[in-house]
Amino acid sequence: MSTSELHTLAGPYVLDALPADERIGFEEHLAYCSACTAEVTRLREAAVKLAANVAVSPPPSLKANVLASIAQLPQSAPAESEQPQPTAPGEGVVLTPRRGFGRLRRGSTLALAAAAVIVAISGGIAIDQYRDNTATTATNNQIAAVLAEPDARTVHGEVKGGGQATVVTSNQRDAAVVVLHDLRTLPASQTYQLWLIDSSQTAHSIGLADATSLTKVVSGGVTGKIAFGLTVEPAGGSAKPTMSGATLISMT
Amino acid sequence: MAQTVELGGRSLRMSSRGLSVTEPTAAQWRMRVDPRPPDGIDEGDLMRRVARGDTDAYSTLYDVVAPKVFGLVRRVLRNPAQSEEVTQEVMIDVWRTAGRYDAARGSVQAWILTIAHRRAVDRVRSEQAAADRHQTVGARSAETDFDQVADAVTDRLEAEQVRNCLGTLTELQRESIMLAYYNGLTYPEVAERLDAKLPTIKARMRDGLIRLRDCLGTAGS
Repeated sequence: MSTSELHTLAGPYVLDALPADERIGFEEHLAYCSACTAEVTRLREAAVKLAANVAVSPPPSLKANVLASIAQLPQSAPAESEQPQPTAPGEGVVLTPRRGFGRLRRGSTLALAAAAVIVAISGGIAIDQYRDNTATTATNNQIAAVLAEPDARTVHGEVKGGGQATVVTSNQRDAAVVVLHDLRTLPASQTYQLWLIDSSQTAHSIGLADATSLTKVVSGGVTGKIAFGLTVEPAGGSAKPTMSGATLISMT
Repeated sequence: MAQTVELGGRSLRMSSRGLSVTEPTAAQWRMRVDPRPPDGIDEGDLMRRVARGDTDAYSTLYDVVAPKVFGLVRRVLRNPAQSEEVTQEVMIDVWRTAGRYDAARGSVQAWILTIAHRRAVDRVRSEQAAADRHQTVGARSAETDFDQVADAVTDRLEAEQVRNCLGTLTELQRESIMLAYYNGLTYPEVAERLDAKLPTIKARMRDGLIRLRDCLGTAGS
């Protein structure tokens, strides 16, 4: 799905009218599209006004129940301290220590599926304050769906500067799962940026990564891409990849 | 590949054709700043007190938002018992996660009602099998809903403003938005229901919301 197509999803998104897979894809997009986040914030204020039209007082017993419940209930700490911790080294991902660009056997792919799901649970990316376990479950379903495609193929490579990258793609589904593990921690002024490269050598950004380990589902724009790229860019990302120090992994 | 970044409210768009800067419109600036709280209650302040464990503030906040939460959930779920259950879950979540509310990302009501709507929609989608869903939901009429929504409304002034603004939308914009928001349909389901193309429905939802936003932002005080 192109970037402009993604932008039009802001309307259905704030109405909760996106099917689960598109919701996840759009939330991934929101993570690095500040213009979209701003639009979502504005449209959401209009959408929720629609609740005024159907407002009706709940039974008084409901308030009594709620007040009784919260009296016993501790509150969560603010969002800053709730960011998911990066996966500890050696936990979660069991990337096969394999060099080169070969395909993994089917059995390895399934082991990776399990690993990716573990990473998604323990090191998932918090996209916004509304994201909840439903989204994590949906992400896991998406990962499982990609891995279940008969044409799913896996490539793996070392990341320059340290760490591992594994990409599972399905052309049939036009989707990919990217698993990054144990990357070098970057200074705050820099970010990792993920790319898919097409046959004309053009790099298409598929998002930024600030964590040292993460699992990312890419929906759309995967079919026909020949390589995965990982670069270090100034914070906020770049329009074109900075080629020095770039990691490229062939997907063909 | 084009990239857009936002700096100080301006959108900077970088593409192969160069750099362009978009200034927000006056209406966008207004929306960027937290919308006016109704009835002189400062909901942002209430929320900060709730985050510090102030149960009196929570009780006030409950009175302000619970009718909208309950009404919205009931509209989507159409089952009174389930709606009470979901409303209770949502209101308890508001207490538990009050510290996560970020005023930069929208109003208090937007935060709470987004949680409520998503919870209701997720519930309705998980419970209805795809097959019978098409039948039961397909039988409902958005236009009928639009004519009947005003019953049992708690804040008539605000409801009337929303109703008037809905009336300024095109029929397709209004039906798309209402089928999605009040009935919990996905946009492909809305497209099927209205016999329209998918890109059309996506676009009508977005431009309908923009029109609604502009109308609500300027009408009344």
